[in-house]
Amino acid sequence: MISLENVSKRYGSKEIIHNVSFNVNKGEIVGFLGPNGAGKTTTMRMIAGFTAATSGRVMIAGHDMADQNYEAAKKIGYLPEHPPLYDVLTVRSYLKFCAEAKHIAKARIPSELDRVMQACQLDAVVNREVFKLSKGYRQRVGLAQAILGDPEVLLLDEPTAGLDPGQIQETREVIRSFGENHAVLLSTHILPEVTLICKRIAIINDGRILAVDSPESLQSAVAQSNKVTITAIADKDELKKTLVAIDGVTDAMVSEPSQNTGVVKAVCHVAAEGRIESKIAKEIATRFELLGLEKEQPNLENVFLRYVGKN
Amino acid sequence: MSGVSAIYKKELANYFNAPIAYFIIAVFLLGTGYFFIYNMFMTGSASLEITLQNMGILLITVVPAITMRLFSSEYSSKTIELLMTLPIRPWEIVVGKFLGAASIFLLMTLATTINLIPLFLYGNPDLLATVSGYLGFILLGLACIAIGELFSSLTQNQIIAALLTWPVLLGFWFVGHFKVFQQTGFLRSFSDYLSFTGHYANFIQGLVRSESVVFFLATISIALILNTSYLKGRR
Repeated sequence: MISLENVSKRYGSKEIIHNVSFNVNKGEIVGFLGPNGAGKTTTMRMIAGFTAATSGRVMIAGHDMADQNYEAAKKIGYLPEHPPLYDVLTVRSYLKFCAEAKHIAKARIPSELDRVMQACQLDAVVNREVFKLSKGYRQRVGLAQAILGDPEVLLLDEPTAGLDPGQIQETREVIRSFGENHAVLLSTHILPEVTLICKRIAIINDGRILAVDSPESLQSAVAQSNKVTITAIADKDELKKTLVAIDGVTDAMVSEPSQNTGVVKAVCHVAAEGRIESKIAKEIATRFELLGLEKEQPNLENVFLRYVGKN
Repeated sequence: MSGVSAIYKKELANYFNAPIAYFIIAVFLLGTGYFFIYNMFMTGSASLEITLQNMGILLITVVPAITMRLFSSEYSSKTIELLMTLPIRPWEIVVGKFLGAASIFLLMTLATTINLIPLFLYGNPDLLATVSGYLGFILLGLACIAIGELFSSLTQNQIIAALLTWPVLLGFWFVGHFKVFQQTGFLRSFSDYLSFTGHYANFIQGLVRSESVVFFLATISIALILNTSYLKGRR
């Protein structure tokens, strides 16, 4: 549904997006991940047709953005970085304007407005002017505008910015249900969000796409820095000696025992391959009282930091 | 066309949900009322000639206040990003906004016709000159609005948009006076042709000249076309 082929954007002599290529298919939510200033918003704007690509091709549902942006615009729902709202209009009249501009048939507009206002939980503010709304509501009015008319392609630039945890969860549900039979591109720098709802992730930094893959395979690609944490009742030095003796454990750090329980905590750096954690468990359990063992997975944060070159 | 009507309705809602439209209309009517009464008592003749002349210059000072927000406010509130990504063509945006501002202006003009009641009640004015005078006033206003809209699309600052529009409109108003300094016949007739005052004076005197109608319609079209291509070029 969304396809970018070698897309570049130049302002003057400065190229800020370099040869970006990726696709978003129907029924797929793709997370667009990158630090601030990486080019997420510029790329989103090119896909939405707000700015034109200097070179390369942006295709939306078979329409080339360069010369068919009017046809393409009919397929797109877009929530920009700053929700584009008219302060003096009420929520209803604002959404009505968007519905008319999206060529939704007059008879369908009232039911369509009800649908999006319910999906985005706007019932309480329907007749309030936009300038009186809180940041969270503004964001949700923006989202309601984007999903108006059930567009095939949904572009969301940081849709959960400014929302509280409850609202984030509700918004995520809206996006998740929308993603089941639409193409959704979601830009964010909130990592857990991506793992929760995205099928694939595109990582961008300095205007270049560094990786496009599922969250799981991105995680396994950086699984070298595994850590195993152990809690046990044991003598501190004995435990350390035992741990380093195990084949595969490269280093171990043991904390001071807790004063009233005598529990110590040890963090071992281990080699990635093999089932080292079961070997450690066996070894410790025979000699000390093992209370807990946890293998730390590389989270998306490590993945992200590795790709954007800050690790 | 549905894009034009969506934009048009939004513009009207924007004007009337904020105090600015009421304020502008009030200022204009106050000024017009003053000129009307002053001219009636000064000249003692039942003619709108001088009053329409005064209304023209008043209009030129008021129009930038109507048009300055048309595009500038879209830029500063980032709503331009919505307009440019909705399935609306750039010309539909430009025309919809033009019609929105034009409606405010026409409403204002309509309100001034209250002056005609005592005029026709107690005097014997030239009906045709009054009608053609009003036609000229409307054409003049629409041309000023198209120019104001164009300048509003060049900056995200409303004040700057207004400050750019004023000198241009005043230039068109006074350019006719330059003809006395011109030596060549071409420049004389050219500065005469560009002059709002010259064309408007014809209408006030009861002369509806096709040349003047074409001049105002051409000014409107050129401004709207430039505006549309500027929007397209922003992508």
